[in-house]
Amino acid sequence: MSISVILVKILEFMFVAGWAGSVIVLLITGVEDVGTLLDREDETSH
Amino acid sequence: MSSTSNAPPGNNRVRIVVATSVMLTFISYWRAAAIILNDLGSSAFYAGGIAEQAIGKSAPWFVLGVMLFAFAVRAVYVESCSMFVRGGVYRVVKEALGGTLAKLSVSALMFDYILTGPVSGVSAGQYIAGLINDTISIADAHGWIPAAIHRLFHGTPQVGVNGTAVVFAVAVTIYFWWENIKGIEESSEKALWVMQITTVMVVMLLGWSFFTLLKVGGHLPPFPTLANLHYTDESLGFWKHSSLPHMFGILGLIIGFGHSVLAMSGEESLAQVYRELAHPKLKNLKRTAIVIGVYSFVFTGLVSLLAVILIPDDVRMKVYSDNLIAGLAMNMVGPQVLRLAFRAFVVLVGFLILSGAVNTAIVGSNGVLNRVSEDGVLADWFRRPHKKYGTTYRIINLIVGLQLFTIIVSWGNIYTLGEAYAFGVVWSFVFKTISMLVLRYRYKGERNWKVPPNFHIFGVEIPVGLASVGMVLLATAIVNLFTKSVATVSGIIFSVIFFAIFTFSERVNRRKHAHNAAQMKEQFQLQQAESVERETVGIRPGNILVPVRDYNTLNHLKWVLDRTDTHEQDVVVMTARISQFGAAAYGLSTEQMFSDYEQTLFTRAVSVAESFGKKISLLVVPARDSWSAIAQTAHNLESSGVVTGLSSKMTTAEQAFALGSAWEAIPEPKRQFVLQIIQTNGTVDTFRIGPHTPTMKNEDVVLLHRLWLNVTREPGLENVHHHDILTEALTRFARDFAATDHEDIVRQLRRHIVDDSPVPVRRIADQIDTVQPAPGRSDRDDKAGGPAKDD
Repeated sequence: MSISVILVKILEFMFVAGWAGSVIVLLITGVEDVGTLLDREDETSH
Repeated sequence: MSSTSNAPPGNNRVRIVVATSVMLTFISYWRAAAIILNDLGSSAFYAGGIAEQAIGKSAPWFVLGVMLFAFAVRAVYVESCSMFVRGGVYRVVKEALGGTLAKLSVSALMFDYILTGPVSGVSAGQYIAGLINDTISIADAHGWIPAAIHRLFHGTPQVGVNGTAVVFAVAVTIYFWWENIKGIEESSEKALWVMQITTVMVVMLLGWSFFTLLKVGGHLPPFPTLANLHYTDESLGFWKHSSLPHMFGILGLIIGFGHSVLAMSGEESLAQVYRELAHPKLKNLKRTAIVIGVYSFVFTGLVSLLAVILIPDDVRMKVYSDNLIAGLAMNMVGPQVLRLAFRAFVVLVGFLILSGAVNTAIVGSNGVLNRVSEDGVLADWFRRPHKKYGTTYRIINLIVGLQLFTIIVSWGNIYTLGEAYAFGVVWSFVFKTISMLVLRYRYKGERNWKVPPNFHIFGVEIPVGLASVGMVLLATAIVNLFTKSVATVSGIIFSVIFFAIFTFSERVNRRKHAHNAAQMKEQFQLQQAESVERETVGIRPGNILVPVRDYNTLNHLKWVLDRTDTHEQDVVVMTARISQFGAAAYGLSTEQMFSDYEQTLFTRAVSVAESFGKKISLLVVPARDSWSAIAQTAHNLESSGVVTGLSSKMTTAEQAFALGSAWEAIPEPKRQFVLQIIQTNGTVDTFRIGPHTPTMKNEDVVLLHRLWLNVTREPGLENVHHHDILTEALTRFARDFAATDHEDIVRQLRRHIVDDSPVPVRRIADQIDTVQPAPGRSDRDDKAGGPAKDD
């Protein structure tokens, strides 16, 4: 296996694993965001 | 040196209070979102077209993926803002990764900022040129173009798209160069207005597109599989002769993602507006992030998708690759004239938002270079203020020079510009995210929020979320190095040149600053204070505030010292350290606040005070605009007066109006004060800031008195006072102004201003008979013997 193929494999792993983790980030922050949007108690005026 | 009232006993150094909190006018999250979307939203006009040129018809899926991923990148910025790290981008990265990488990251950021201008200006020019050409073609199809013109152009007259775009981009850049030299102020009002118009366009665009879909139907773009990705030689860059891109499916996805990543350019503005967000800051920052996330997903993401669905394949890339939204407008169902009118509206909105982005690029670059200059990485020579306008004109000239060079070299090729732009965008994200990762372990200060999820193994935190975002960005940035040859070469050349300038400047500055620091330690003692308070500065109420900026124009300070007994009344000399939009992202350290320039300025001020043998107090205040800084400082210090020189850009009335407007923005309760503007010929103009008894013209007083005399003749009104008549008159004025006679009143007032003549009032006064008061009636004014002091 050439160095370039190993590099590509590493990059692919980073991208896939990164996306998997980012989806978890999106899910958790998405739930938080809903809470932030619903909490309008201290909302400032436009 | 004994020129200050506050030097500690036995210490001859002059004490200077340096406030560290920027005096900002806080804005709501809606306004903050509007400012960011002016930058982020502008990429919707070109990102989809560039991505499709690079990877084919599946591009909209990648753009949607980028917009989704942008939510996660936003989380990194929210965490970064929730930490209070002093210093700009350079300082953040330096703290995490060291000086060399910090200088590299600033170079990448500068590449991003500088390219924002050309890419936006050229894109706006492409939209305008496209509209001109299509309008002429339609007119020609209807036979409205005279045969002679037809013959002259050997067919339908058309303007050169790229040439027009270059001319337009150069003109807009030069216009904003001059505006920035003069020192325009960024306004969230303007940003909100542009976003309101843009929203109208987006709603119409989406509504009409979905209606068209219902009428004529459409097919989704092919899904992003290896078979559906069609690279050009240009989009494979250094890999155009390699088999790698065709061997691996996921690598293909990374290449596609890398060619679409510029859709989220503008994210960095989130950090820039943070300092200006109203309380509660973190919650409002999250709200801002949600608004910009949803808006850009809908605008950039859906518009790219609808463009591929609705614009026929044979014209989409051939005719509309550089003005995709215009193509979408022209391919809706409906009469041609209506579609053309809507396209004109799209071009107008594009002109507004993209021109705004050209300005943001200049302001942002100026902000970043100012910050690195403050960090000692760029020679102070660059930061010397313009003699007339006080702006950092050398930095602005450098930025605009580079932008004009880029526009001309690219000759309106939006694809090349966009690809190069993506280099700066992705690498500045990478540096930022890696720095945040490192700071998780190295920075133990305040941090209100962290990118989730985070796990702990043997007491060590594992930042899974942050690392995930970093891995996607790093993988994309590395692949981009291979697939974007022009961007890589130009980005590396640019970054290396800037890196060399920074490194050289830093060495020169280090020697110079060591000398200056020693000199400063001899002369000044810096005292850091979170905010400006009278007690901190050590002065009495009723003091005089003297704002100074240019050490060559201190006549107003001389005027004050000549007339003030400083034993009775304190004199505070203040300079506002203006942090332009984008530069206020992080606080400044005391040493950064009090740089070479401020040292020279205060040395001169102290010399002036010494020549009068009087004491002054010195104050440095960070601010977004000088008028807010003066108004808030005068308010906080309980000053009775502000004395300033004549501005080179404004008349005395305009200066008073600007300060008055800044005073209005201060929350109640607030104090009034007097503003005195000393002109170069020694003339003094005095204004009262805040509500005050107006100066009445003699003829108005006569009119009031005659009215009072007549009114008091009425039975039962013998005890009416002059102020009762004024109250009634003002109440009637307010009622008429609010209801029936608004236009008439405005017209009359305009006449007063234009004529600047008291004649109409005098004429009315003359028409009213003078009636002597009946004996025995009393009024305080009568006792005073005429129209004098009212109660």
